[in-house]
Amino acid sequence: MIAIRNDDVDIGRLIEEAKQPGTGAVVVFDGIVRDDDIREMELEAYEEVALKELEKIAQDATKLHNLLHVDIIHRIGRLSVGENILIIVVSAGHRPDAYAGSRYIIEEIKKGVPVWKKELTKDGGRWVAGEHPHGSGKPRH
Amino acid sequence: MTVRVRFFARFRELLGTDIPAELETGSTLLSLVRSIAEKKEEGYTAIFDEHGNFHEFVIVMRNGKRVEHEDAAAVRISDGDEIAVFPPVAGG
Repeated sequence: MIAIRNDDVDIGRLIEEAKQPGTGAVVVFDGIVRDDDIREMELEAYEEVALKELEKIAQDATKLHNLLHVDIIHRIGRLSVGENILIIVVSAGHRPDAYAGSRYIIEEIKKGVPVWKKELTKDGGRWVAGEHPHGSGKPRH
Repeated sequence: MTVRVRFFARFRELLGTDIPAELETGSTLLSLVRSIAEKKEEGYTAIFDEHGNFHEFVIVMRNGKRVEHEDAAAVRISDGDEIAVFPPVAGG
């Protein structure tokens, strides 16, 4: 499943579905709203473009790291501390590919997928700065 | 000619989003975004520098594809185009 959505997912079910024939390892990345003295986090996406970027990243990761299955679910909307933001589930025949594929996906998302986060605090809100300034992580076309 | 301009994140808060714009044939991407941003000073200064050029960190797309800043003054807008302007991404 490649999705941008408000609702959470059942990670346990995703793990089961990732166990394709030949699977020897499943790696799960679960990005979570951290309690940085915030009330909630508001996430926003350029959904049509972001979804295409995620699909491209999944395809590239599959080729580069011999993955057997990829799920990427990026949540948007208002999330509380402790809630899941981003779930990546990958499977591969061997753990080095599974770890490397998972790492590739999260780093590519950080570089160029048009999603933004705003931390909502008791004093208002603050936009989270991206890790990649203009130019270093161009969105894929 | 009608186009749609979408701002995201901080730019959306300052300028709104899903802004329909009526344009004359031959308008450029740069002139279109400037004309909308000029309506609110804080929004304009968030996107443009003192010379009227996009700040280095601003990302511009036309129909879902990135447009480099140096091309924005030459890119002619077509009827039905969707222009997106946003700050650096911060997903994940």
